[in-house]
This record gives sequence, structure tokens and C-alpha cells, in this order.
Amino acid sequence: MKRFLLAALLALAPLFGETTVIRNATIMSESGKGTFKGSIVIRDGKIAEVGENVMIPDGATVIDASGEWVTPGIIDCHSHIAADGNINEGSVSVSSMVNIKDVINPEDIAIYRALAGGVTVANILHGSANSIGGQTIVLKMRWGKDADEMIFEGAKPGIKFALGENPKRAGNPQGGRGGNASPARYPATRMGVEDTIREAFNEAVAYKAEWDRYDAAVKAGQNPIPPRKDLKLEALKEVLEGKRYVHAHSYRADEILMLIRIADDYGFKIRTFQHVLEGYKVADEIAAHGAGGSTFSDWWGYKMEAYDAIPYNAALMAKKGIIVSLNSDDAELMRRLNTEAAKAIKYGGLSREDALAMVTINPAKQLGVESRVGSIEAGKDGDVVLFDKDPLSTMSKVQKVWIDGNKYFDRDGDVSGRPAKELEKKKLMNAEKSNAPARRPQ
Amino acid sequence: MRRNWGLGIGNWVLLCATAFGAANDSFLIRNADVYPVTSAPMQNVSVLVQDGKIAAIGAKIAAPKGIRIVEGKGLRVYPGMIDSETNIGLSEVSGERVTVDTGELGEFMPQLKALIAVNPDSEHVPVTRVNGITSVMTFPAPGGRGGRGGGAQLISGQAALIHLSGWTWEQMEINRTAAIQVNFPSIATGGRGNFAADFPEAPGFGGGAGTYAERKRQYDAQIQKLNDFFDAARQYQKEKTSNAPGFKRDLKMEAMLPVLDRKVPLAVLASRERSIRDAVAFAEKQHVKIVLMQPRELANVLAELKEKNIPVILGRTEALPENEDAPYDQAESLPGQVFRAGVKFAFTTGDNEFVRNLPYNAGRAVAFGLPEDEALKAVTINAAEIWGVGDKLGSIDKGKWADLMVTTGDPLEIATEVKHVYIKGEEIPLTNKQTRLYERYSQRP
Amino acid sequence: MKHLVTALLACLALNAQPAPTSIAIRGAKIVPVSGPAIEKGAVVLRGGLIESVGENVTIPADAEVIDGTGLTVYPGLIDALSTWGMPGVAPAAGRGGGRAGAAAAAPAAPPAKGPEDRPSTTSWIKAADEFQPNDRRIELARNAGFTTAVVFPTTGIFGGQGSIIDLAGDKRDDMVLEPSVGQYIAMYIGRGFGGGFPSSLMGVIAYVRQIYLDADHYKLVKAAYEKNPRGMERPAYDRALEGVIESKRILLPANRWVEVQRMVKFGRELKQPTILYGMVEGFDKRSTDYLKDTPVLVSLKWPAAPRDPDPDEVETLRTLEDRAKAPTAPEALKQAGVHFAFYTDGVDQPREIQRAMKKAMDAGLSREDAVRALTLSPAEIYGVADRVGSIEKGKIANLVVTKGEIFDDRTRVEMVFIDGVKHTPTPEPPGRGGAATPEREN
Repeated sequence: MKRFLLAALLALAPLFGETTVIRNATIMSESGKGTFKGSIVIRDGKIAEVGENVMIPDGATVIDASGEWVTPGIIDCHSHIAADGNINEGSVSVSSMVNIKDVINPEDIAIYRALAGGVTVANILHGSANSIGGQTIVLKMRWGKDADEMIFEGAKPGIKFALGENPKRAGNPQGGRGGNASPARYPATRMGVEDTIREAFNEAVAYKAEWDRYDAAVKAGQNPIPPRKDLKLEALKEVLEGKRYVHAHSYRADEILMLIRIADDYGFKIRTFQHVLEGYKVADEIAAHGAGGSTFSDWWGYKMEAYDAIPYNAALMAKKGIIVSLNSDDAELMRRLNTEAAKAIKYGGLSREDALAMVTINPAKQLGVESRVGSIEAGKDGDVVLFDKDPLSTMSKVQKVWIDGNKYFDRDGDVSGRPAKELEKKKLMNAEKSNAPARRPQ
Repeated sequence: MRRNWGLGIGNWVLLCATAFGAANDSFLIRNADVYPVTSAPMQNVSVLVQDGKIAAIGAKIAAPKGIRIVEGKGLRVYPGMIDSETNIGLSEVSGERVTVDTGELGEFMPQLKALIAVNPDSEHVPVTRVNGITSVMTFPAPGGRGGRGGGAQLISGQAALIHLSGWTWEQMEINRTAAIQVNFPSIATGGRGNFAADFPEAPGFGGGAGTYAERKRQYDAQIQKLNDFFDAARQYQKEKTSNAPGFKRDLKMEAMLPVLDRKVPLAVLASRERSIRDAVAFAEKQHVKIVLMQPRELANVLAELKEKNIPVILGRTEALPENEDAPYDQAESLPGQVFRAGVKFAFTTGDNEFVRNLPYNAGRAVAFGLPEDEALKAVTINAAEIWGVGDKLGSIDKGKWADLMVTTGDPLEIATEVKHVYIKGEEIPLTNKQTRLYERYSQRP
Repeated sequence: MKHLVTALLACLALNAQPAPTSIAIRGAKIVPVSGPAIEKGAVVLRGGLIESVGENVTIPADAEVIDGTGLTVYPGLIDALSTWGMPGVAPAAGRGGGRAGAAAAAPAAPPAKGPEDRPSTTSWIKAADEFQPNDRRIELARNAGFTTAVVFPTTGIFGGQGSIIDLAGDKRDDMVLEPSVGQYIAMYIGRGFGGGFPSSLMGVIAYVRQIYLDADHYKLVKAAYEKNPRGMERPAYDRALEGVIESKRILLPANRWVEVQRMVKFGRELKQPTILYGMVEGFDKRSTDYLKDTPVLVSLKWPAAPRDPDPDEVETLRTLEDRAKAPTAPEALKQAGVHFAFYTDGVDQPREIQRAMKKAMDAGLSREDAVRALTLSPAEIYGVADRVGSIEKGKIANLVVTKGEIFDDRTRVEMVFIDGVKHTPTPEPPGRGGAATPEREN
């Protein structure tokens, strides 16, 4: 009953247009104000005020956070949660016609678990089976809302590219089981990956020219038949026009450089290199191009292309002026991005604030949403996380998470609700057992 | 107690001044905070290491003449950490089968020895030890990525306890037969646990694992096979000791003898409750010692494990819950539950690439209910005791090997730096391929 | 004239009796569905149509009179989405369609490389051209009280066009009531990567979207060519697009509320009148809120517990809840004002159909609404309510006559009339679906 009431309260909270005040916490604001002890006022979904001393409005819900810590909502720049069905359209090497937006699953329990780790925003990407993969979307972890409401409104859409071992795997099928080997899918080598991407952009350039001619004719008052709309090339046209971010899964230095040169040739920018485990080797080139790097803290050695991966990658790239984020690519790791950030202190000697930036303001910048999220500053979205201890400590845990000023996670509520859930499950199971018709003996 | 003993040693050392030259497995760490693990931490004391062993710990140890001094001011000394289930030395790049030597073919292979296939120059060795992990158990086949054991392998071979240092595997060896790995049968799941999968909008490839009745039959048959093998080993033992005519030496059976004599435990991989219970019953029936490796569904069996003194090696706390309905902190809370039930446990990380994160894995459990000193024990003395070397490793106590790490703070915290690592008293260079690449590319003009 | 011919040809029918010119059922309870029930009345059939129905109707002198004492007359049942009669479809098909046709899909074609290969598409096929009247299930269906089925080809993604078929007739073509009532679409992904495009849910959605874009373009080009072909390259004939263009509405699958929302929005985007089929979570407000203008088909294959569960394995709370609540969906849809009909979805045995209907009624659906959902509602949904679906003067004489109230356990189907011709149920084979066997969840 108590759980039901709490759930009802949580559900109704947004209707109240609540003001929430988090008092006397150690705030890692990730802004010019740095880290300090103070309070935050969240009103109408936005951070109204943050500072050492704030005005507490009447009727506000006040959370006493003495001894606790607050960070901006954590942003995971590489995730595959919350999508129904296969995360890869791996049957073809260029699958830019598919869109994660079409298959958002707002009920994926991974969303809730990410919240429990302090994640408020996630960049949901197509898998890495294709040289050019599908269209991607940025979500806020608004657990309990429907698919449309999960979408981070205003975040620019993206598209996933993949280089290296993964997109060429289908070109080198294993012997096959029982004579049922899959046909090989071009490309089978890194040379072919480059060719695949160039061929696709070659087509896209011609497609864009066709449409530009059509648009010009319409402007000139003519009424021609429009060209056929091709979803695959439409997405690439948007890349050429800077309307769609490119997130490129990459490992080896040679392929990172290769993609930069393709982008230069076709006049577009890579927004982020993902994984980019050898980014440290070509950091100068990445910085000159202006791409961001979204990498793992310390994964290495599981593939040949990860054999030269070093945990100092993030620090080295950052030193060269690249905006670097640390991501998860994994529903489990996603829950610990706060401690993953701490590894940037261990490997490379970054300051605490610069380390936390890698999972807050940096990914916000990479996704183009830094005006809304990534730091605790007046005017930004009320996306904040309350930790019981230092968020960079392995021994801390998330207590509460707010998104747009609404509380979406509360550890106390979660823990106290467990017995009721168990009970409900038992009730349903018993009801089924007693209703079950007599079965034929096995 | 320690204090009195330390003073005594100190006097003795003063008397025997010059005997110890500048041997590279002898040194004195002074003025450090020492965390022995088996007793309370001590502020501002010294640790004397001689011939690779811990000789003394105390406030006033006078340095023997010529001995190397390590300044410990502001630093902490801990025992080197132990990971209880890895494939270090046996698997290099897990995705590339040719670099992987775990997972041999064959159903019953107790005669296989992990130790002799360990590559002492595996990059995993220097990458791991720079974070203070000084020894590991390395296993023939925990059935991970790249290790295809070919069919249901029931006994995989002998796991070895090794130091992460040595010119050859012989030098790395602590115990070549620390345990024999058994992969306890399990009933294949029907794949439930995700409701969306029960109502597929996009019907596609669907497996069928066969009916439950079939799977149960197979499970029971596998357990029977295991029992039959052990019975055969006992028979072999009888024939051997009684010099039965026509007795022929059989390597597989020979490998089983120390298990039957309870000198070597079985390291039993069993995850689900039914497998765990049946494994415990099996051990009782066969009168053998077992250690449970990475059991997950422990809640209902903890009392039994405590009663029977069966220790467990807990897998990563950094793991997702078992199914959709399980509490989000199920894996993180497990060590706390196991501790409160009085069952002895140690931690492991599983994959080679992540062994260096062993202490953070332990730290995470502290957030969810495990007392911090227990977390530290679970990566040091508990592991040593579980694998039968509690007298040699796992804590800073006189007479034990000097497997030590010197840190700037709590080793369970990520921001802590490891300043020195010693294995059997020898200082380990804190370099590896990754630090070298870092150096090199830091200098790219 | 046509119906007179039919009546004469009925002499050659299996019943091997000279067909009467007129039949009257007298003294029976009559449930017209379009109006209140008549406790004791009569229905007169002539020429395959209903000549008159009411409390006091004149029984024509030439009518064969059937004593309806103790009997009830309903409109013949209509299966709103059926595979009865379609070749190569396994009887016990899976939930939600698509799978049913999968077994028959010829794997001979090389894997599709993209939407241009029109994968898994047979949109031009009409059930009216393919169905086989000697399918054994048709006889079973009549035994269960069905006179009509909306039969669809269900192979692949675009299965083809459904036709309304009366379940008896001398010539195949005479059985067709309406040849093209909608396009069957399923989220079919075949064998995965090796099977060609598409191999993911988002791939199927992208493909369907592209087909409709291509259809719009095709129409433009064809119209322009029609107007003035000289000097213009002729548009290539594309039977896949022709099939899609000639379909008046589309059927899309949806079981979870997330899918309901997704498919309703998709249908709107494609600008196609849409019907959803499946509807396991039809009871959920998040489904019904989206269904104001979308009719739905509810599967009678209620979700059931697995036959041989692992006692150590516990299903998710959500699965248990859905199983318990699914039969309440019809009543919930009714309350929310959503237009719905039932379909048998592979539940072919009369006894199983009856039990499935009873389950919905036990969960709160009135018998009246239950009957409507198998008679007038499907007729309305497919736009043929002017011809069939209720007992009204002038409509087609499709009736089912029962002893006892329909869908009750002890009720028997005494006879059905299809296009005015009487059929009596064949005796049920022993041991299958008969009253003697213990209940079995399917």
C-alpha cells in the first residue's frame, strides 16, 4: 500500500509544477563556479538558482542533502538500450535508411537501471555491423513515459558509422555450420570499408544534386516531378548539409585518419569518434578536424584492434584539445560512469572536475545539447543526481535522480517497494496455479 | 601483541648488523601506515623484508646496514591482492582463438595443467600487477569468450596459483594444482526473463531448448556421469594402493587422487540455485572439498554453505541483475549478504582485461552493504586461505612472502596511486606496454 | 439471377438434396445484433438473402420450414483475420501472423540487398485468387458457427490483399464476397543477417516507409506519363507498388502498448487507414488512448503459461500480469469506445474457439458484445456492413443456429446457413477437441 502511495505521489509530482530545493550538498557544478558547498533550486523543470546561499521559495520541497553530493545528470554518449529488436541492420553494409527512433522501447528495464547509476541522457546508437549504419537518437531517461516523451527534444539527430573489424566481419564468414554458411557481404577488409563509405557518399552527392536542381526549379516557379525520395541517401544528404551528426565507431589510428580524409573530401565533419581506442596516436589530426572523442576508460585486449588500447587515451586526447567523453556501450557499465570518470584521474592525472566533465558537460557538447544539460547552472534543465558520498568514489551510490525537475529515481522508494512487488508476483503465480486446468500427465 | 614482538625483533636486528647486503629482495619500508589485514592498521611503522619474506613490522626497526630504504611517509602498505579466477597467461586476445589456450576438448580432463601453458610474457601480467594484484588463480576453462571447450566439459583440469612475476612458469608457480575445475551441469534456461520477448512483434529466429522434462533428464544424466567418474577414480585408488595385478598407471586417475584425499579442492562452477545445491550434495556424497566459483542464486543456500564450511568465489559485483524483476543492486548487494551469513568468500573479476580492476569491484560492494575491511580481506587473506596458502600469502605477517603494494591511499578507490609493488620482495617495474605507448605518444611532436 | 443459379447448382452440393427455394426458421429466438433480440420469431431466406425477419412474419407457402423451438439464430460468425483456405499454412500458427506464412516462404530467392529488391513482398496477391475451398479447416470453421472469413495471405512483410470469403459454395469464385479489403503487413525478419534485408524491426519499418514513398512517386510519374507520354521515359511497371496502391487499408501488428502507439503513428505517417491486429495489451490505457480512430482485431489465442515450465524459473511480473489481464482487453476496448473484432489466430478447433470466447466473457465482456465482435463489427471494420454481419432484410443469408446460447460450454451448433444454403456440422473426430478430452491451454 505504501509503495502504491509513493508510486502515485511520484507519478503525480509533475502535475504539481513543483519547486525542489536540494540543500547543503557538495555540488560539483561542472561550471565556472567549480565545486562548492551550497544549494540548488529547481523550478518549472529548470535550474532556477544554484549557489552557496539560495532563496528557498514557499511551498518548495526541501531535500536536506548535508553530507551528500550533487552532480549534473550523467550523459552516456554510446548506448544501445531502449530499442526493440536487433540493434543492427547488418544484412547490408549501408543501412542509413533505418532509424532507432522507429523502435524506441520506453519500457526497457535498462533505462531504470541507468537512472539508478545517475544517467539522465543517453545517445542511442545503431550497432557496429555496418560501415554506414542507421540513424540514431538522443533520449532522456524519463522512466514511465512513452516513446515520444523519451526523446530529447531539440537534440540533433545522428547516424552511426563503423570502421575496423566489426563491419568487415560479415565479409569473412566463418566456415559455417553444417554447410549453411552465410554469403559473404562486402567489404572484407579495411580497404573495402573505405570504398563502401566513398561509394555511398558518391551516390549521395549525385542524389543531393538532383534534389538541389528540383528545389531550384520549384523556386523558379516550375512544377517538375520531384526525384524519388530514397531514405538511405536522404540521411547521407543530411550529413553533407551538416544536419545530421556522424558518430563513427573506430579503433585503429589508420582508420581514424582514413575517415577524417573522407570527411574532408566530401566537406562534412565527423562529430565524434566512438571508442577511438588508438585516438591518442592521431590526436593531432582529430583535433585539427574538430571531432570529439568518446572512448572507454580502460577496456583493452579483447580484439586485435584493441591490443594497443591504453587507459591514458582519454587524457592524451584531452591534452591535445579534443573534447573527450567516457562512455559505456553497455547496459551494465552505464550504471557506473561516475567511477569510470574517476579513471581519468588515475590514468593521466586529470583534476576531479575535468574527470567528471567526461561524463557530463563534455558529452553534452558532443551531442550539441550543452545549452540544456551537462552542468548545474541557472537556466539549464533540472537534471541532477544526488549521491550519498563522493561521486568519484567506488563506495558511493545514487540516492535520487531528477530530470527536468521531476524525480525519476529514488533509492529509498525502490528498496521499500520490493516486498510489495514480490507479493504481487506471488499472488499472480498462485492465481495461475489454482486456475490451471488439469494437465495430462507428462 | 605486534608492538612487543616488533621491539624484540628490532633489538635482534641491531645485534646482527651487517649480515644483509643490498640483496634485491630485501629492503625496509619506513614511516608508512601499514594495513596487515589480519590485524588492525598501524600508523607510521616500518616493514622489514629479507630474502623475499616479511621479517618484521614495527615502529622502531633499525635498518640493517646497506639495506635499501623505501621512504613510506604519507603512503600506505597493503598485502598484494589476489584474484581467484582468471585465465592470465592462457589467453591473450580473447576474440582471437589462436591466442587462447583455455577450453580444451574432452569431457573429463583432470590431468590438464593450466600452469604449463602459461605464457610468462603475456601482456596481461605487467598490465595487471601495476595495480597491486600480485598473484592470481589461472584456470583451464571458465567457458568464457574464445574458449570453446567443445561440448559439455565436466572436468577441465588443474588451476594454478601463480605469482605475476617470473622468467618462466616454473618461477611463477605457487601451486600448480591449487584446485581442479569442475563445470557443474545446469538446466538450460528457456530464455525467459524479458517480457517483451514473450510477445514478439517481429517473429524471427526463435530457439527451442527442448522441453523441461528433456532438459532435466539430460541434467540428471550429466550428474550421474560425474559420479561415475569419481567412483571409477576411487576404484583406481583402491587398485593402486593394493597393488592389484594388471594395474596400469592412468594419468587422468592419478590427477584425481589428491582430490579424493581432500588435499586438493574442486573449484566448482555453478551459478543457479539448483546446480549449487546439487553440487554441495555431490561433494558430500563423494567426500571431497569444494569451492563454489561465481555462484549467483545464493540467497537460499547460504545457511547450508555456512554449516558445511564451503567457501565461495564471488564474480563481479559490476554485473546486471539476473532478470527483469530482480532488484537493480542484486549483484552489488550479494557480497554483503554472503558476509552476513558467515560464509567465507573472495572476489574475482573473471576476464583477464579487467583483473586490474579487482579492488574497485570490491569497493563497489562496500557501497551496498559490505564492511570495508571485509572487502579488503576478500581480495587478500580470504583468497589465500581458500586456496590453501594462508600461511604464505595474503597479509602482512612475519614469515609470509613479501607480496606488497605501497599506495597513496585506499586501494579500493580508483584515484589512489600505486607507488610500489613487490612480489616475493622483488620490486616490480611499474611499466607495461600501455605505459610505454603513453610515454611514446606523449612525445609525438 | 446469380443467386438463382447458385441455388440450382446447390443440387450438386455435398448435402445432395434438392435445394429449397425458400427456407423459414420459425419459433426461434433471434439475435439480429443490429437491433434488440427477438424472443420468439422467424427468419425467412430466399435466393441467398434474408427476405424477412421479425416477431410476426408471414411464412411463405413454398418455404421449407425449420422448427426453431429451443434454438437461437445469430448472424453467421466472421473471422476478422484468417488463413483458412490459404495454401501452405500450418494450422496452429503463432500469434500475430507473419510466422504463419514464414514456413511457406520460398528461401530460393537470393538475399535482398535493400528495399529496391522488394524483399518478402507479394502485395499484389489476393486471397480470393489463392484460397482453396477444400481446406479442412473450413469445414471445422463451419462446425464452429463461422460462415465467413476475412482471409489474408500472410507470408512475409507485405503478404498481400485480404478477401472476404463465404465458407461454402459450388464454385470458388462464388465464395468471394469482397475481393480486396486491405493489405496485410507483418514485421517479418526471416533468417537474420544471412537472409538478406531487412534483418531487424527497424529495417522492416524503413522498408515499409520506402515502399509508400515509392508508391507516391510512382503515382505521380504514371499520372504525368498518362497526361503526356511523348518525350518521357515510361515508368517501369512495379507490381509490388500496384498491389500496395490498390489496397484500401493496411493491417499492422501490435501486442504491447508500445507497439500499439508505434503502429498507430506509423499508419498515420503512411496516410493509410489502419487496422491493428494482436492486441495482447489492449486492456492498457496507453493502448486505448491511441485508438480513437483505429479499429483493432483481438487475437483469440490468449497468452498461456508454458506447457512444461522449469520449476526453478520464474517468469517476469509483466508476463504474468499480461496473461492475467489479456482476456479483459475486449471489455476495456468496449469501455474506451474502440471499434474491435475477434480473429481466431490459429485457434481452429470449435471447442477451443468456444472456450476462448468464454474466457473473454468471463473477464467481463457481455455476450451481446462478444457476438457483435464476431459479426457486425468485423463487417463494419471492412466496410461491408451493408451486406452482411447482422440479421436484417436484404442482407446475405449467413446465419448460425445454436441449441443454447452461443459460446456456452454445453451449446451446440445445430446448423449454419451460407448464402442461404444450409450446412449441418460434421461429427467431430474422436479425441480431438471433443467434450470428453480434458482442457488444454494452447
